[in-house]
Order: sequence, then C-alpha cells, then structure tokens
Amino acid sequence: MSDENMMFATEEMQRAAAESAEDNTAEIAMRKFLTFRTDNLLFGVDAENVVEIITNHVITQVPMVPTYVRGIINLRGQTIPLMDMRLRLSAEPRDNDCIIVLNLNEMPIGILVDTVCQIIDIPVDTILPVPVHNAQKYVSGMTTMPDGTGTMLVLDCELLLAE
Amino acid sequence: MANSGDSVLEMYLYETNTLLEQLDNIMLAAEQADTLSQDDVNEIFRIMHTLKGSAAMMEYEPLMTIAHRIEDLFYLIRENTMDTVPEQDRPKLFDLLFQSIDYFRNEVGKIEKGDPLSTNIDRFVETINMFIDKIKNDGQAAGSSGEAPAADQAAVQEGCAALVENAPAGYPFALRVFLDEGCGMENLRAFMIVSDVRDSGAQFLYEPEDLESNTARSPEIAENGFTMYFAAENERKAALPLISNLGFVKTYQEIDAAPAPETQKDEKQEPVAEAAEPAEPQKAMPAAGGETASGKGGGHQIRQSLISVNLSKLDQLMAVVGEIVITETMVTASPDLRGIEDAKLDNFYKSARQLRKLTDELQDISMSLRMVPVSGTFQKMRRIVRDMGQKLGRKAQLNIIGEDTEIDKTIVDAISDPIMHIVRNSMDHGIEPDEQMRIDAGKDPVGEITLSAQNTGSEVIIKIEDDGMGVDCDAVLRKALQQGLASPDVEYSQREIMNFLMMPGFSTNQEVTEFSGRGVGMDVVKKNVETVGGVVTMSSEKGKGSCTTLKIPLTTAIMDGMEVRVGESIFTIPIQNIRQSFKVTEKDIIHDAMQGEIINKMGEFYPVVRLYDVYGIEPQSTSISDGILVWVESSENSCCLFVDELLGKQQVVIKPLPSYLNNFKIKDAGIAGCTILGDGNISLILDVTNLMGFISGNAGY
Repeated sequence: MSDENMMFATEEMQRAAAESAEDNTAEIAMRKFLTFRTDNLLFGVDAENVVEIITNHVITQVPMVPTYVRGIINLRGQTIPLMDMRLRLSAEPRDNDCIIVLNLNEMPIGILVDTVCQIIDIPVDTILPVPVHNAQKYVSGMTTMPDGTGTMLVLDCELLLAE
Repeated sequence: MANSGDSVLEMYLYETNTLLEQLDNIMLAAEQADTLSQDDVNEIFRIMHTLKGSAAMMEYEPLMTIAHRIEDLFYLIRENTMDTVPEQDRPKLFDLLFQSIDYFRNEVGKIEKGDPLSTNIDRFVETINMFIDKIKNDGQAAGSSGEAPAADQAAVQEGCAALVENAPAGYPFALRVFLDEGCGMENLRAFMIVSDVRDSGAQFLYEPEDLESNTARSPEIAENGFTMYFAAENERKAALPLISNLGFVKTYQEIDAAPAPETQKDEKQEPVAEAAEPAEPQKAMPAAGGETASGKGGGHQIRQSLISVNLSKLDQLMAVVGEIVITETMVTASPDLRGIEDAKLDNFYKSARQLRKLTDELQDISMSLRMVPVSGTFQKMRRIVRDMGQKLGRKAQLNIIGEDTEIDKTIVDAISDPIMHIVRNSMDHGIEPDEQMRIDAGKDPVGEITLSAQNTGSEVIIKIEDDGMGVDCDAVLRKALQQGLASPDVEYSQREIMNFLMMPGFSTNQEVTEFSGRGVGMDVVKKNVETVGGVVTMSSEKGKGSCTTLKIPLTTAIMDGMEVRVGESIFTIPIQNIRQSFKVTEKDIIHDAMQGEIINKMGEFYPVVRLYDVYGIEPQSTSISDGILVWVESSENSCCLFVDELLGKQQVVIKPLPSYLNNFKIKDAGIAGCTILGDGNISLILDVTNLMGFISGNAGY
C-alpha cells in the first residue's frame, strides 16, 4: 500500500511540475516510466506496460522452468507467471514480496523487485543508448534522473522475456 | 438502407443460412416420401417469401428474383395442392429446389466473402418459369384459380373512392402503393419508394407525410398502403417501373381525380404472382419475415425459441461461473469459521447448502449452453449422400444414430469437415459402383452408410461405417510402395497399412473425380481431429465394408480431480486417470537393475514414479511407507505415482497456463494447466499421458 500511495503522490507532483514546465518545453516528447530498484540498480519500465503493483502474494512453484521463473500467482482468478528480477540478473535471491504486474503484448507477467520508487516523466531525447562494452543485460537505454539522484536503466521487456 | 452496417448483414446471413438449412431438411424428407405435404408447401412458401423479403431489403436483386419466382411456383402448388404436380414431374421439382438451395448457398457465400453476386440468372429463371407454366396450364384446366382475387380487389376499390376526394389541388394523379404483408418496417420501405421516385425527378406529394420518421405509421401503411399524388400523368407513369421493381411492393393502383376512369392494374410484369397474391389470406404472412410461424404451421415452430449468441460471450460466462464456483468454496470453507461453534452456524450452513445447489445448477446450465447436438452436422451428410448417389449412380442410404449427442460447439465445428470427407470417401470408394456388384456379393442392393455418435462420459465417439467394398489392403500397400511411403523390406500389419491411408498425398483412386481422389482427405481429417485432441482410427474388411472412428475428448472446462500433495506443491490428477490409490511398505517394492522401482499389483508389474524426483521438488519424505501410491493409467500405459498425501476429490475449473510458461515446454512434462483452489492457492493439473511420455523419455525410468 505504501508503495502505491507514494506512487500516486509522486504522480501528482510530477503532473504539477510538468504543467509548470509546459510553457518552455511544450514540444519535447515525454515518456512516463515506473522506476524500481533491484540489486542496487535503478530500472525504469515504460508506464504503458504497467498494470499494477501488488504485494504479499502466495507463489505457486512450477516445476521444469528456469530458476528465475519463481512460479505462478493467482491475481483475482487470473494466473500470472512471476519472474524474479534478482535471479534474472544472476544476483543473490532475497525475500522480496513486491511485484510489478506488466502487460507485455497482451501477456501479463509479474516481476519481483526489491522496491518500487516512483512514476516519472522522462524527455525521450535524454534517453541514451547503452555503451556497448558495458551493456547491462535487458537494458535498452539509460538516462540521468531529472532530479540528479542517479542513472535510470530503461528495461527492455522483449529481452527480458527472451530465453 | 442497404448499407446500414455489418450487423444487418450479419443478421441477414444468419437468417438466410438458417432458412436454407431448414429448406434442405424439408426437401430431403420430401424426396424420400416423393411428395410434399401441405405443411411442407406452406413452409417452403414462407421460407421463400422471407428470403425474397430480406434479399430485397439488402438489395440483392438476383436473389430476390429467384426467390420470388419460386414463391410464385409454391403459391400455385399451395393453392392447388401437390396434386397439380404430376407424379413424373416431381423429381424435377425437387431438383429445381435443390438447385435453388445451392444457388442461394453459393450467392450467400459470395456475400460473405464480399464478392459481387452473379447477375446471370436468366436461364435459371427460365427453368422455373417453364415449370410454373406447366403447372399453371394444368391448374387452369382444373379452373380453381382466378376467382379469389376478384373479391379482394373489390374491397380495395371501396377504399379508393374516399381517397380520391382528398387529392391535393394541383396533384390530381394519385398512386396508391400496397406493400407486401409482413415485410416489416413499412414506413421506411415506403420512404425508400418515395426517395427512389423523387430521384427520378418527378413532382409529387405523398401521404402520410411523416412516414420517414414516424414508425407508428407502419401498421397504417401495411393495411391501407400509402399514396403519392403526382402533378402529371406521365410522371406517374415514369414512376411505375421504379415501384414495381422493388421486391416488397405487392400491388399498386392508379387513381385519377376524375373518378370515372378508375383504372386498376395489377402488375403486368408478374402476372402470376400479383394476380394471385391479393387472394392470399391475411394470416399467412406474419410480421418480421415469417420468424413467427402462423397458426397452421405447427410442425416448424422450434426455431422461435432460439437466439444466436456470440461464442465469446459464452466463454466469458463460463469463466465467471468458474470464478463463482471457486469463490463459493472460499466462502463456505473459510478458515474464519473454524473458531465458531457449529450450533451458531445453523443458518449459515443452511444458506450455504442452498448456494451450493444453485451454483451447481448454474454451472450445469452454463456448460450446456456451449453444447450443441451433432444433428446439424449429421443432417448435412444426407445431402451429400443424395447428391453423390445421383451423380455416381449409386444407391445408398444414410442411417443416423445418436444425433442428439451433444458436443461443445468448437468441436462440432472442427469435426464437421472431417465427417464430410469420410462420408464422401465411403460413397466414392466404399459403396460398389453398381447394384449388380452388391447383389452378387449377397448384399442389399441399396448401400448403407451409418453415422453414429456416442458420448462415453470422457469422450465422444463418432463412427462412420459403410457396407461397401472395404479397403483392399494389398492395393493400398502397393500404392504406398509406389509412392515411396512404405519400404519394401518391411512386413506391415493391417493396422499399419490402414495408416497409410491417412498420410498426406495418398489416394488409391485411379482417377480424380469431382468428389475425391486428389489424395487430400484423410490426412486433413486426421489433422483436423487432432487439433481438438482427438484420434482417428480406420478399420476395414475387404468385401464387407469399412469403419472410421473418431474419438474426441470432451474438453469441458470443469472436471473432477484428485488433489495430491508433493512437498509444498499441490497437483490435481484427473479422476478418470486414477485406478486406485494404496499404501505400501518398502517390502513391496521390487528394484530392477536400472535403480528403478517396480510394484506388483493384481498380478502385473508397474513402475513406481516418485513425482518429487521427476519435478525436482523438495519432498516431505523419501520413505515409500510415509506417502501413498496413486495408480494412474492412460490409454495403454499405467504406472504408480508416489505422492506425500491425498487431499481429496474436488471439482476444478481448468485454466490454461500463462502463455509465457509454454516457452519452457512444461506441457510436455505432463502439466496440462492449473486450477485455483478454494483457499486461493493454485494447483497444477497433471496430464497423465504426457507425464508418462516424459518419464519414459527420461533415463532411469
């Protein structure tokens, strides 16, 4: 719940900020991102793909799948596969329970993350390609946070789903 | 009006197809009896009338014309009974109708695809006209028609006198138009006429003036027609062909302000119909295109109670009902109830029982909604047997058994083509080409094809049998060798030889005919049946006939399953796969050389499969005496699964696994789907067939 409250609060703030900034940067295309942390990395996922954020769900393990697929969860009668971001990034697993439900190409999937941060507007032209030789896995671009708190990695959902 | 959207077109197609199917059935029955009962004639007349009306509405001119002519024909037959048609002409009449059914089907198919309609119908119309003339000549000899219209016309004339008085100044030439009874939406049809005439540039007024917007005018127009007042006589003349071309105009009257020369014309172009129609009793043509059968058509009222529903809505309903079933268990078995004394829950339990009863009922009903009888598909085969029998000169009779068997709609759709292929095969390859061959073989000269459907509880078995020549296994093998499908060094069993018939490109027929022989057929049948999870088997005895069996699982979304626990995981095993469950001790286990475990049960040996081992789950206990063995079987394979605990039998709603998980081929590992339990947890449903395939594929078992 606290995550959600925070999310809405920041959204309001962002909207207010965006409105005040509208006069001078009216023409620049913006994209909304939901940011989250996993293994001390700050990721952003396109808010268009985000369905909701849930916590405390019972996970049913499924045999014969890679370890990063933690299993399936029952979201109001719909069964959704759950991927552990930490395991997907080959990091040590932790006892997380914060799940972002994404809808990728009409296919819902949950990703287990450490914490969800905020929804933020990013000007499209500030998203830069990832330097080739230190390319992160499943990242399609990166940008400096507008408030200067760090660098956000843009999560590439297609790569995330690929085996 | 013609282009007022897809839903109108969809309705039109649905309605037309339904009517054609009905017509087909009537005709097939009639051909058998070699006559049409009066009820049939009425029904055909009604159907043709509706076809005409709706085709006119959609402005499909050629369809309308044909329907109109056949309607005329049946009007004659209806008035003078079937006796008008001499015995020797009846086959011709039946053929004519079958031809027109085919014609309609064809054209409707074109409409569905968006192709233009063929306008070249003159010859067809000619044929019908010839037939009409023939009957009419006979009929007039009997002198039974012709009196009736006069009486009706007199009544119409009465109304005209008053009308003429009302003619507005400057528009002395009135034209009164009567619409077909029961064509529906009279005010809009009237407006169509008005706008058509106006497009031709004529100056006129019309009454009632608000006919476009006021639907309340419909009954009035239906009864008394509507009137147009023209300024000039030649304009009125010019409008006449426009009006008479519209299919739903019954008749019209020219009325001049000068009352004396009250000319009255029934349409000249269509003498038979128009002279005849006014005589038709009011009750014959009910509103809404004959959807509601009139008083005397008692035998054909079934479709009144049918509505068409989009399949996706039924799917949604099914999903919601599934949720309700689960939620009900969640409520009635809620852990919160545990602390409370039973005595205090009396009312609760009473209501809960009531709720359970209702949800069970709801579930049954919603499941039955998707089920349709196979009779529709089976009945279509009659037509195929008839047509092919005529073309090939073979006599065959189709027996249908169990046509009331109900199958899920999607499955019916999937097996309709395969059944048709097989029936065609039976006609083409099975039944002997001439009667003498059958008589020589000591069989009834009329061939017999039996189509049967049977529901065994877990699957539907559809059999297509014929008593024809059977399959010549040697010929099949020769052909298979020729086509490189078989290898010459191998001895094939009869069963294996039959399987060649289902290989792509295989055909024993020497020539390609209209019906079969191209070698596409049985492989398509096999593929189609397999897509719905079914199996095709063929058997045949040379000289005695052959039999094709389709076994199709009833893929109902709700099934009975046994919940078992393995470590932390819960699995559901379909009840129909379970033979027995039992406790064993270490002593009962026999070890083999491959570290495998075997158990002797009822004199046979079965492998013991530790489910936690197969799926890599942390077990509660590895000691065989702590858990329980579940003896499962599917088709011919059988094994004993070792699980920690049986949790109980439960009705479960099958949900597909998330599509993402299909990337990992867990279906092949024996997990068919999942279900949500009463407590909200998920249980995985085992597919025993796949599980056993997976186990035998793994080393060590």
